[in-house]
Amino acid sequence: MKNRIVITLLAAATFAATAAAQTSPLPLPPQVEKDLAARATNVTEVTLGKNMLAFAAKFMNNNKDEAATRQLIQGLDGIYVREYEFDKAGEYSAEEIAKLRGYFETSEWSPIVHEREMKSGESTDVLMKTVNGESRGMFILSAEPKELTIVLILGPINLDQLGELKGLGGLNALGNVASDAHVKDKEKTKVKKDGDQ
Amino acid sequence: MKRLWLIPLLCVVVIVPATVVLAASGEGSFDGVVSSIEGKYHVHATRIPFMGLVSLVARGATHNGVGSLHVAEIEDFSAPVDGDELNRMVEEKLGLGWERIVRDTSSSGHQQTLIFAHPEGARMGLFIVDKDSNEMDVVQVSVDPDHLNEDIGHYRHSHTD
Repeated sequence: MKNRIVITLLAAATFAATAAAQTSPLPLPPQVEKDLAARATNVTEVTLGKNMLAFAAKFMNNNKDEAATRQLIQGLDGIYVREYEFDKAGEYSAEEIAKLRGYFETSEWSPIVHEREMKSGESTDVLMKTVNGESRGMFILSAEPKELTIVLILGPINLDQLGELKGLGGLNALGNVASDAHVKDKEKTKVKKDGDQ
Repeated sequence: MKRLWLIPLLCVVVIVPATVVLAASGEGSFDGVVSSIEGKYHVHATRIPFMGLVSLVARGATHNGVGSLHVAEIEDFSAPVDGDELNRMVEEKLGLGWERIVRDTSSSGHQQTLIFAHPEGARMGLFIVDKDSNEMDVVQVSVDPDHLNEDIGHYRHSHTD
């Protein structure tokens, strides 16, 4: 009888631990976030789940301009932003960036923009999640010498409407990403080197 | 003597609804967070006087768009604050159901911003902790986006007219 109680308790504890582990929406190991946060002088985190997005959508009017954005937001499953600012360059390595990108190198995610500025050390990666031919998510990794920005959008995405999200806090870069993605969709994994021309 | 059993029953009848009302209004969690900050950092929070009245006026003026307003201001708060510690403390005091939507933290400890949200049916409870260089503000508010949007819409229209 005692054994049964112990087994039940262990099962409950395992279930609770699994549930707790699944609360982090970003599919990055917490250690990566912790390491980056420990070195950053300023960290900004925006976490908008489905409920919060539905709430944010209510603040938009039903007029022609905002109706499309409202529809886009209501359909999303989540928007997650992490922005790390460093006081000097070199606080994160190229290996760490590759590692971050590596978490999305699965069959569902495909790179649509991969840009490197060798001179400035800036890089931008945009990966798109596609399920049954439909865009179901977007991962953006923008690295500057003293700033690292991670944006993850989950849910059905219409690239034409994506730029409209730049009005939401922390998503200013999306306006450019949306237009970049259109232009560069066909030139996948292009490495840009200064002085090539 | 026979009616002594009525005392615990009356206590339950009085205490349970009072607790429910307090929890629903969020006053308990607001005071809990403010008290914890006061205790931890040895600071004194100024509760804005007549806030209940202000909250009532705000509710009326915004046609139920904004309500349950609580504000506390902590001045002369120059000591740096550990962002993780503050976040843990606020999360613990707010309890389950509150979701952190924004966190802005500086390693120097002088700038910290936390925004939590809590769905309350058609309304949304928001809890904001904001520390600047030497001041901290704690605000709790309940908003109804539909009503608030209607009101904002009126201003938009009159502005464009």
